[in-house]
Amino acid sequence: MAEQADLLPGTLDLLILKAVSLGALHGYGVLLRIEQMTRGALLVEQGALYPALYRLEHQGLLDAEWGVSDNNRRAKFYTLTAAGRKRLREETESWNRTSSAIATALKARPSEG
Amino acid sequence: MPAKLRSFWRAVTRRDDFEDGMDAEMRFHLESRTADLMRRGLPPAEAARQARLEFGSIEKQKDEARAGAGLRLIDELIGDVRYALRTFRRNKGFAAAAIVTLALGIGANTAIFSLMDGLMLRHLPVHRPQDLWLLTFDEPAATGPVNETFSYPLLRVLESRNDIFAGIAGFSSDRRFTVGTGASMSRVSAAIVTGGFYETLGLVPALGRLLNPNDDAPGAPVAAVLSDGYWERAFARDPAVAGRPILLNGVTAEIVGVSPRGFSGANVGVTADVTIAVAALPAVVPPDADLLGRGNFWMRALARLRPGVSRDEAAARLSAAWPAIAQPAINPAWPERRKKDITDARVGFTPGATGWTYLRDMYTRPLKVLMGIVTLVLLIACANVASLMLARATARRREIAVRLAIGAGRGRIVRQLFVESAILSLAGAACGVALASLAGGAIVNVIATQRGALVLDLAPNVNILAFTMGVAMATALLFGIAPALQSTAAEPGSVLQEDRRTGTTRSRLLPSLVTAQMALSLILLIGSGLFIRTLRNLNTVDPGFQSEGVLIAGLEQRPGGVPASALERLRTLPGVLSASLSTHTPLSGSTWSEPALPVGQPLPEHDTAVFFGASPGFFTTLQIPIAAGREFTDADTRQSAPVAIVNEDYVRQYLANRNPIGQRLSAVVRNEKRELEIVGVVRTIAHFSLRGARPATVYVPYHQLTGNVPTTVEIRTIGSSATLTAAIQQTLQPLLPTAPVEVRLLSSQVNATLVQERMLATLGTGFGVLALALAAVGIYGLLGYGVARRTREIGIRMALGASPTGVVALILRGARAPLAVGIALGLPAAWALSRLFRSMLFGLTPADPIAIGGATLLLVLVAHAAAYLPARRAARVDPLVALKCE
Repeated sequence: MAEQADLLPGTLDLLILKAVSLGALHGYGVLLRIEQMTRGALLVEQGALYPALYRLEHQGLLDAEWGVSDNNRRAKFYTLTAAGRKRLREETESWNRTSSAIATALKARPSEG
Repeated sequence: MPAKLRSFWRAVTRRDDFEDGMDAEMRFHLESRTADLMRRGLPPAEAARQARLEFGSIEKQKDEARAGAGLRLIDELIGDVRYALRTFRRNKGFAAAAIVTLALGIGANTAIFSLMDGLMLRHLPVHRPQDLWLLTFDEPAATGPVNETFSYPLLRVLESRNDIFAGIAGFSSDRRFTVGTGASMSRVSAAIVTGGFYETLGLVPALGRLLNPNDDAPGAPVAAVLSDGYWERAFARDPAVAGRPILLNGVTAEIVGVSPRGFSGANVGVTADVTIAVAALPAVVPPDADLLGRGNFWMRALARLRPGVSRDEAAARLSAAWPAIAQPAINPAWPERRKKDITDARVGFTPGATGWTYLRDMYTRPLKVLMGIVTLVLLIACANVASLMLARATARRREIAVRLAIGAGRGRIVRQLFVESAILSLAGAACGVALASLAGGAIVNVIATQRGALVLDLAPNVNILAFTMGVAMATALLFGIAPALQSTAAEPGSVLQEDRRTGTTRSRLLPSLVTAQMALSLILLIGSGLFIRTLRNLNTVDPGFQSEGVLIAGLEQRPGGVPASALERLRTLPGVLSASLSTHTPLSGSTWSEPALPVGQPLPEHDTAVFFGASPGFFTTLQIPIAAGREFTDADTRQSAPVAIVNEDYVRQYLANRNPIGQRLSAVVRNEKRELEIVGVVRTIAHFSLRGARPATVYVPYHQLTGNVPTTVEIRTIGSSATLTAAIQQTLQPLLPTAPVEVRLLSSQVNATLVQERMLATLGTGFGVLALALAAVGIYGLLGYGVARRTREIGIRMALGASPTGVVALILRGARAPLAVGIALGLPAAWALSRLFRSMLFGLTPADPIAIGGATLLLVLVAHAAAYLPARRAARVDPLVALKCE
């Protein structure tokens, strides 16, 4: 397995919203989708996944419905609600702003001060 | 927020589904992961192990998921409740003591609040009661309380102003009619209402129809509406009753319908079983025909404004149109000043949702005082329960310390202890509501006067339940928080190391709670002492006549007065000492006044004296001393010269420095100008109340009056009045064909004027005794706990030679400090508080030494008695046993 980075606090919610925004997923599917999206570069601790899903559902950002999985098993599928979509957009913008600001800061050289 | 509530609600209400779903979801995750790992080449057992390892603790995940869904709080609360109930089951004595104490404290509050609610807060059971206004009639020249009465013609004019009013409900109740004839005659409560009454209130009949404006027209047939309660009592809810005739005071009326259940008139507390329209009054009560004229202000009115008209607009329109409105209500023959009073008057609006009752004026202040009293009782009860909680918290120190040591947060434990308090408080409140409903009837009896049955709806309603819940929660906070904080404050390590058998730490909270109880009890005892002494002072006031042994019978329904011969038969009855007739009796609540001044002075428009019509024997029967001149005799008839007897206060006010006998008065007697010769002077008697000023009075011979005179018979008796009552009834009944004769005691009429004072003295004393008992339990608990804790110390003292008396003194000393400080705090507080109700006292000041001294002495005695029991137990400690048990 390639070298993996720990997840920054607060980014798990963002990643889950992003993963679900690409199509309905069950909990294990969310995990796989995140691994796939980050090409395995980020380590999602499985222990944190379900509490986060339940919290997001409780906040009305995710909808959950029971359905049937690829291997014909009953599974709970999560989809993004309108509020979730809005939150994803906001969080993405805020993330981009922060990360570009940090990237700029890290590129700074003494002479430019 | 709504999404959160929805998901929370779903999770709470379908908890099993929630748990099953979570289970299935995580199982699915693990199986999928295992399958993936197997696909990568791991053997099944190793794949399953790896999947479980990656997933971590399932229970921890579930717990965090529950927290994510907002379920943790409710889970913990349910846990707390279960834990609390389990603890109470193990400590039944503690739980029972706390609940009983709280039930008494909260029940007292609920009972008094129910009374307040029934009298002042409960809305009339009518359509949109909050839109009703009680009309007031403000005469600028008038002084004294706000006038709420209107003349019938004035209400009719107001009613016709449909640019202002949607309807006006005029009413006058607190009357009695005779229903039926002969042996089946009974007296029922009655009300007189305007034609728009039921329509304005928006009531739907339970049967038939209600009165309407057609019934309130001159010459309309007499129509009667029954109350639902009377329909049930007298007619067993017979639906055929509508359309049937009913005899009212001997006059045939038609029962047109029954008013809805729960509604018994706009006069709160005074039910009306039969209601007729104003226009029918002259037929049913001929002497009251005058009431329909312009000069009598006797009806109260609830109004509903025209939709879209605000109270201010209505007032403005009324004031603009006032001269036109007032004109038809003014009698052109009136003197100018009387006319001006009406033209200058204004109609005002006060909220009318709660109807009207004379009881409100009477009881608002006493009820506020009682509310203060029961609040203090509740505080004392709180202090008791807090002491219990503290004692228990000490016993649970180790348990709490262990829980703190293994990682429970302090907030979490405080919350759990508070849940225990809340459960106790709610259980106490539930018992308290039950106690209050039981006591409610008794309390209504204390405040009921003899004016008729007082019917108040005291059934628990939203107001009462909300009040009780609020009180219970405040109570739980009061008695629960301090012990909870104190018992979790200690360092767990030190508690756990402490010797199990001898807890050394002492709570300073416990003695201060007992001190507060002593102070509060003293305040209550002084208060009830002041009220008891007030009642006693009023009971010993000499009213100027002897009411003991006098029976009275009202013959108001008798037209044309009673012949002198009727008294002869009464006087021959064995046991009758004397008998007389009069138009009024003292302290009856009804009165008659006229202008009367010595001849030569111009007669004023206002009345100058209270008038009584009295037959020969009146002063003998009531034992009113004659100061000068003579009593009325059989020679004073309509054919002889008009004479009068005046009282000493009349002489002092109008005939100072003159010999009154032989002086002549010019007076108006029942609309007739007369000259009266004074033939006697009598002692002044109390007439309006026992405590107020006594009026200048003129007595005229009953048999010199003309027309329909109100009549009461007074009979002074000796011996058993129970047997006499029947004989008197039999003798008088032929005089009164249209009503049953009711014989009453004059002394109970006098007592009825003291109903407010009696209520404060009775209920105040009851609550004072309750407070004292609670405080005694408090001091007993404090010392008993101390003795149990100090058994070893006492044993050592006795082993070293302390005498049992010395030990008793040692323990009693523990009671003295809270008692002394309590008294030191309670005395000034009682003095400050009692100044607030100074005007309710009679014949004493708030600094009354007997009330204060008596209350203090009682408190000291009871506190010592309560302290003596644990002290005696301490003196009986066997040193050997006490030391061996270590």
